[in-house]
Amino acid sequence: MTQKILGVTGLNKHFGGVKATHDVDFEIARGAKEAIIGPNGAGKSTFFNLLTGYFQPDSGTIVFNGADVTGWAPHRIAKAGISRAFQISNIFHRMNVFENVRTAVHAEMGRSLGIFGRADRIGIDETEKALELCGLLDKGAMTAGELSQGDKKKLELAIALAGKPKLLLLDEPTAGMSLEETQATMALVDRLNADFGLTVLFTEHDMSVVFDHARKVTLLHRGEIIMRGTPDEVRASETAQKIYLGELHL
Amino acid sequence: MLGEVARFYGTRGVSVVLAPVLLVLFLLVPIIPGAFWVQVATEILILGLFAMSFNLIYGYMGLLSFGHAAFFGLGAYATAILFREFSAGTGEIGVWGFFASLIVGPPVAAMGALVVGYFCVRLTGIYFAILTLAFGELLFSLVFSWYGFTGGDNGIQGLLPPPVFRDATVYYYFTLAIVVVALLLLWRIVQSPFGYTLRAMRDNQQRTRFLGIDVRKYMLVNFVIAGAFAGMAGALWGPFTRSVGPLLLGWQESGIAVFMTLIGGSSFFIGPMVGSIVYTFLEAYVTGFTQYWPLIIGLVILAIVLFAPGGLLGILGAWMKRRRGPREARRVRDEDAAARSEPVATGPEGAER
Repeated sequence: MTQKILGVTGLNKHFGGVKATHDVDFEIARGAKEAIIGPNGAGKSTFFNLLTGYFQPDSGTIVFNGADVTGWAPHRIAKAGISRAFQISNIFHRMNVFENVRTAVHAEMGRSLGIFGRADRIGIDETEKALELCGLLDKGAMTAGELSQGDKKKLELAIALAGKPKLLLLDEPTAGMSLEETQATMALVDRLNADFGLTVLFTEHDMSVVFDHARKVTLLHRGEIIMRGTPDEVRASETAQKIYLGELHL
Repeated sequence: MLGEVARFYGTRGVSVVLAPVLLVLFLLVPIIPGAFWVQVATEILILGLFAMSFNLIYGYMGLLSFGHAAFFGLGAYATAILFREFSAGTGEIGVWGFFASLIVGPPVAAMGALVVGYFCVRLTGIYFAILTLAFGELLFSLVFSWYGFTGGDNGIQGLLPPPVFRDATVYYYFTLAIVVVALLLLWRIVQSPFGYTLRAMRDNQQRTRFLGIDVRKYMLVNFVIAGAFAGMAGALWGPFTRSVGPLLLGWQESGIAVFMTLIGGSSFFIGPMVGSIVYTFLEAYVTGFTQYWPLIIGLVILAIVLFAPGGLLGILGAWMKRRRGPREARRVRDEDAAARSEPVATGPEGAER
């Protein structure tokens, strides 16, 4: 049996009468690469927000890497090893690309409170490594806010990687990217998973990305898990066709 | 590659170029005969340090504090009260007593900032500004009405420094030395991992939290550091003007830090000091021939906010960038040309082919 890195049981989150997350049981094995799909409003983002501590669940537990992290503040969960890249690129827009990633590296090293340390001498190798992985090394001096949409997403990913996560949550990693950028980004995700053993869980609206890159797919609908299986199983499923895939005309 | 990246200065370039120039100018001020301009320059330095401590919160952390004078005033009063005790009886203070009373300014202000900050860092935006203002006014009224300890609205008078420091030029150089050290410390702080984490919080608080940073704790640490530097500026103020009064903690005094920072440019390390030069010089100059000083400064602020939102250094920075742009392009072009001409330069073999 593979060892699980994340286990969620009976997770609930309601907003008023809306069940954004309803009785969700979910687990993901160490080293896995999985996708969560579902129509808009299915509760994908809420689920990620619960996992990262941005929302507190109404009930249920989240166990990560052997520790019950339910109710932990976002910064503690981030420190525990869940890193997240956002749907809308969430970067430090007035800092340059290099400083963006370096700041994340300092946080990972636990050096952020170093008041008299020299930022330009700490964590430089790690920063360059993360930038190189994401293909941004030559753009280090650019102001983050001036990057193209695709590069902003790459930077977002580099920031997430700088945290040396054990579990990487990617919220629509290729949204707003060209076809080439999409392929490059997903190739990187594959490599991180294969070479570095990083567990990856991502949401995506582009089904070709999902079926090409996820080894397992979970279908979420109205806050509930409808089905979970290999890409082929999900593609073949009538329920999945009816709820989501059908409307995409695949 | 690393060199390429590390060489990038951003807005640092402006301060790195300007600070030595300013230091030389400050060193030369006493050449002007008479005590007047030396005193103006002393005021520029003290208020400039105060404004720079404010900018740690405003420019680097992205929050507007409207009660920062509370810490300037706390530092001033801590020094003044100890000063008063040391010189009680004889009316004279020794050099060591003088140093000792200066040194208590920063820690007392920092402790005040710790208490005030504990509540304020729970809020952001306008609520943070309002709460800092409220705490500032609270401390002001406390100082204003506590006659037995602070002298109430009379303040504390007769803070005559030891004989060596009574000369305006000596006190000026003394102040300059302390301010330079304080600025070097501030520079280290803003160039440290902590300083960059502050910028990250300014740009995107939520994302910073997801890096594993306890945002509130960092805000509080910065608030205390800023309070300590404001306290150092305040400590220098009393012996300079020979007195302290409750208005040093008032919102008008807080406003001065805001004005100076806006005039100079909050994105620049040295910006508030430049703002202090302009503001204090204008005040000294304009009040010489008109009583409408507030009108003049109001117009200056208006012009800056409307036409140069990056402050005076914003204008300078844009100009430097425009100049650097073509130079970089030329350098790249020359290197390209050099690279292309290399095969030819290898000798007749290459040239023949």
